[in-house]
Amino acid sequence: MLGKLMKYEIKATGRIFFPLFLALLIFATITRLLSSIGPEAWDTPAVISMVIYGIIMVGMFVMTLLMMIQRFYKNLLSDEGYLMLTLPVKPWQHIVSKLLVSMLWIVASIFTAFISSLVIALKKGDLTKGITEFTALYHRAVQELGSSVYIWSFEIIIMLLISLASGILVIYASIALGHLFNRHKMLATFGAFIVLSTLTQIFFTFLGMVPGATYLSNLHISANDILGMQRIAHLAMVGGIIFNALLCSAYLAITNFILSKRLNLE
Amino acid sequence: MSAILECSGLTKQFGKKEALSGVNIKVERGQIVGLLGPNGSGKSTLIKLANELLTPTSGTILIGGKKPGVDTKKIVSYLPERTYLNDWMRVNQLIEMFSDFYENFNPEKAYDMLKSLKINPDDRLKTMSKGTKEKVQLILVMSREAELYLLDEPIGGVDPAARDYILQTILRNYNEKATVVISTHLISDIENILDYVIFINQGQVVLTSSVDDIRDEKGKSVDSLFREVFKC
Repeated sequence: MLGKLMKYEIKATGRIFFPLFLALLIFATITRLLSSIGPEAWDTPAVISMVIYGIIMVGMFVMTLLMMIQRFYKNLLSDEGYLMLTLPVKPWQHIVSKLLVSMLWIVASIFTAFISSLVIALKKGDLTKGITEFTALYHRAVQELGSSVYIWSFEIIIMLLISLASGILVIYASIALGHLFNRHKMLATFGAFIVLSTLTQIFFTFLGMVPGATYLSNLHISANDILGMQRIAHLAMVGGIIFNALLCSAYLAITNFILSKRLNLE
Repeated sequence: MSAILECSGLTKQFGKKEALSGVNIKVERGQIVGLLGPNGSGKSTLIKLANELLTPTSGTILIGGKKPGVDTKKIVSYLPERTYLNDWMRVNQLIEMFSDFYENFNPEKAYDMLKSLKINPDDRLKTMSKGTKEKVQLILVMSREAELYLLDEPIGGVDPAARDYILQTILRNYNEKATVVISTHLISDIENILDYVIFINQGQVVLTSSVDDIRDEKGKSVDSLFREVFKC
């Protein structure tokens, strides 16, 4: 059922994002072509096309944020909720399907932005140069860190994804909390967001005070001790992942509780 | 087999306001039930509780012996009193979606009904009038071979001609074992198809009876009994 929900979520959002991605790539190409024709790169058409490209780029990222909020609110907590929430599906599956699809579009937007900037800026030979530099960097990293390079990359990717997820889930939880109020829902949602963010900050501050963390920060490690440094850094990274995961589950639990037990559609 | 819908001591409060208080009803399978009451009497609240769109403050509501949840949603076909369809989809996409999520959805039935109401399955919901959207919703809901149909004000927003078609549709599409609960205050329009009525007022059940009993024992139509019970 989660898969089916995601399929419809991608259909509902893809009709906005695919044209945006396409427009961004088209204007990147136009900008590229226009600026390469004339001897002076900054003639009027090229500038106009560059500005449009910039606007689409900003629009794309604003849209990912708006869509994330709008899909959750409109599809589950407004009239459309009467359809979605009477499907034979558990509420958490709705939340997770929306979360995963939002993450997908954010990553896809970043990827498209990167590709479009390559389209504009890439000069002949840049690609081979880039690849050579990247391989060199990679070899150096393997030399310095050994096989833990892979663990590092894995940890960093997980950390980025889970931070992204907690950023989205805090917004879902705020919208759900705002829904509990009969009036001034918008204001209540903002209030809930501020309260949740503050609580999260306090949570992380406390975390810095627990014995383990104190122990970590008091450890004396000389700068030469790369292996020891690494161990500490790994611990910190894994700790960060675990605590972010805890945050995610807390936000998810709040949202799920409200959707299943405190729902009150208008 | 257990009753299809059973409430005992069902209470729902919104803040201090009690929308339903201590409702006890038992609806047996295989009949058309009118859930009748004036505006704000708690009809929609009861139906929403049955669909897990609300959670009871106290008491229980059981659908086929089970609390509302994924299992009951599979056998309940619900028509809300508002249009819940998003604007950007086409009718055939909605049919696909319903087939995807509901095992008991019969797409052929849906296409047949669309045809007889002259609604083009390729049309987007955005281009449709409110009445047409309501018809599409009813078609989707009645194309499911459900055990319990909960229809909240199904005839409120459409013209009398469409009203007749809708009632025929309801009659034609429900099978012997299924139960249909229709909530409305337009009683005279649906009186002829009802087997059983539940009168509800200010969150309380004031009368439950079979329609035959009302006619035989009291010698009245449901409509005139309603006017009598809810006299202002």
